[in-house]
Amino acid sequence: MRKTTQSCFLLIILLIRIVPSLSSTVNYTDPTLEPVVTENSVIRQKIIDSQFKCYERMNRAPPYKKKGLFCNRTWDGWLCWDDTPAGRITAQNCPDYFPDFDPTERASKYCDETGNWFRHPESNRTWSNYTLCNSFTSEKLKMAFILYYMAIVGHALSITSLLISLAIFFYFKSLSCQRITLHKNLFFSYVLNSMFTIAHLIAVVPNPGLVKRDPVSCKVLQFFHQYMLGCNYFWMLCEGIYLHTLIVVAVFAEEQRLHWYYLLGWGFPLLPASIHAVARARYFNDNCWMSVDTHLLYIVHGPVMAALLVNFFFLLNIVRVLVTKLRDTHRAESNMYMKAVRATLILVPLLGIQFVIIPWRPENRLAGEIYDYIMHILMHYQGLLVATIFCFFNGEVQGALKRQWTQYKTQWGQRRREHCSTRSTSYTATSITEVPVYLYHHDSNNEQLNGRYIEDSELVALKSGETSA
Amino acid sequence: AQHFIAATACQEPDYSWMIRHYCLKQFQLSMEGIGQQLWCDWDETVGTYGELTNCTVLIAERLDCYWPNRQVDEFFVAVHRQYFRNCSPSGRALHDPPNGVLCPFILLPVLVTLLMTALVVWRSKRSEGIV
Repeated sequence: MRKTTQSCFLLIILLIRIVPSLSSTVNYTDPTLEPVVTENSVIRQKIIDSQFKCYERMNRAPPYKKKGLFCNRTWDGWLCWDDTPAGRITAQNCPDYFPDFDPTERASKYCDETGNWFRHPESNRTWSNYTLCNSFTSEKLKMAFILYYMAIVGHALSITSLLISLAIFFYFKSLSCQRITLHKNLFFSYVLNSMFTIAHLIAVVPNPGLVKRDPVSCKVLQFFHQYMLGCNYFWMLCEGIYLHTLIVVAVFAEEQRLHWYYLLGWGFPLLPASIHAVARARYFNDNCWMSVDTHLLYIVHGPVMAALLVNFFFLLNIVRVLVTKLRDTHRAESNMYMKAVRATLILVPLLGIQFVIIPWRPENRLAGEIYDYIMHILMHYQGLLVATIFCFFNGEVQGALKRQWTQYKTQWGQRRREHCSTRSTSYTATSITEVPVYLYHHDSNNEQLNGRYIEDSELVALKSGETSA
Repeated sequence: AQHFIAATACQEPDYSWMIRHYCLKQFQLSMEGIGQQLWCDWDETVGTYGELTNCTVLIAERLDCYWPNRQVDEFFVAVHRQYFRNCSPSGRALHDPPNGVLCPFILLPVLVTLLMTALVVWRSKRSEGIV
C-alpha cells in the first residue's frame, strides 16, 4: 500500500515541479548530456548539497578492499558514484533537481575493463548515462495530469453522492437503525476525507510558492488529512466489527451500544495522527510535510493496515458463517457458492479490502500504467462506490424513495413504516440479493418466494432455518 | 594541427595547481572569517562552499578542462578532510530517526489499534448480555 501511495504521491509531486515549467538546463541537442552550471538558485542549492554529501561520503567510506581493477569513487556533477569493479555497470535513481527528471528512473555509469570510468566517444569526457531520466517525462507528465484530474473528479463525485445519501438517510426517519447510523458516520468520514484531499490537491500540490514558504497552516492541513484518513479506515473497521458482532458473535440480538464504535471511529485516529505530527516535527520537518520518503508515514499507515487486516479476518469469518448457514437451508450446492461470492464482493468496498489484496505495482511499464489507473479509480471513487452500493442500490432506500415519489404524486400523507426492530435483523438482506428464503411463519411455503427479491426477512429466514433445523 | 590541439587541451597538473592557488586561498580566508566553531553549520558555510565550487568550474572553463574531473575529486576530498572532518555526515539532509526510535513510534499505534479493536469487540459482546 505504501508503494501505491508513494507512486500516487510521486506523480503528484512530479506535478509540483512541472507547473512552474522550468526545464533542465541540459541541452537536448547535446548528446553527451553533461551537467552545466545553472543559474537557478534552488536547483543549484540542491546540487551543492548533494556535492557536499558526496564528498563527505567519499571521505568516510572505507577504501576499496576487493581484488582486481576498479573505478575510483567520484562526483560527476549530479550524483555520487562509489568504487565500482571493472567491467560493471552501476546504477542509481535519477536525481530530482530538474522538473523533467523522474526520480523513479535509473541513471547508470559504466566502469570499463581497464578500471576507468566510461568516456563518451564524442567528447572524450567521463560520462554518466542520464538519458532515461527525462526520456519518458512527457508521457508521464500527461498521465500524471490525467490522474490528477481523475482524482479531483473522483473526490468531487464522491462528495456529491455521499451528501445525497446522507440527505436521504436523514430525511427518511423510517430508515433509521443502528446500521444506518454507522453508515451515516462512515459516509460523513468519507466526505471529510474527500474534502481534505481536494483541498490538498488544489491548494498545496500545484503551489510550490506555498510549499517553499512552509506556513504552519499547510502542516495543520496535513495533520487533519492524516486524521481523516485514519477515521475513514477505522469507520470501515467499525462496520466490520458491527457486522461480525451481529452475525457471528451475538446472532440476531438486540441493539448494541454504539459508544465504543464512536470512540474507535472518531476518537482513536487522533492518536496515530498526533504521534505522526510530533515525530514529523521533531525528526523529519520538511516543508508542508509533503515528503513521502520517510518511514514516519507508517505511524499512520501501520494502524490503517492493521485495521484492514482485522477487517479482512472478520470478513472471512462472516463469509464462513454465511456459507455455513446457506448450506443448512438445503439449497442447491451450486447456488451456495454464488451467493457467497456475491456477498463477499458487495462487502469488499465497504471494508476497503482492495488495499490488502493489491499492494504491489508491476514493473512493466504498460502494466504499471494500467495498475495506476485502476488503483486511482479504486482509491478516489471509493466514496461514490460506497454511496451507490449502500444507499442507491439499497432496496429499502429505493422503496422509501418510490413511496415518497408516489406520495408526492398522489398527495397522500406519509404512513409510518413498521417498527425498526423487525428490520434490525435484516442487515445482510439488503446486501445480498436473491438468497433462498423461508418466511418466519412456520406454516409458510417457500415456493412463493423463490427468485423474488427479498428485502426484510432474510436473516429472519436464516434464524428460522436455524431454529427448525 | 594535432599538436596545436594537444597544447590547448586540459593540463591536469596546471589545473590542480591553479585551483589550489586561487580557489583554496579564497575559501580559507572565508572559512577563517566564519570561525572554526561554525564550520559544521551548513547555513553558514553553504555560500562559501558554493563559491569554491564556482571557482573550480570557472578555472576548468578557462583551461578548457571538463568539470568535474579527477583533480576536482581529490581537491574536494582534501578540503573535506581538513574542514569538515568532525561534522555529522548526514546532518545536512532530512533523514529518518534511527531504528531504535522509529520502531517504537510505529509499533505503538499498531498495538494500540489491535487493543482497541479487541476492546470494542469485547464491549459489544458484553452489551448483548452474551458472554
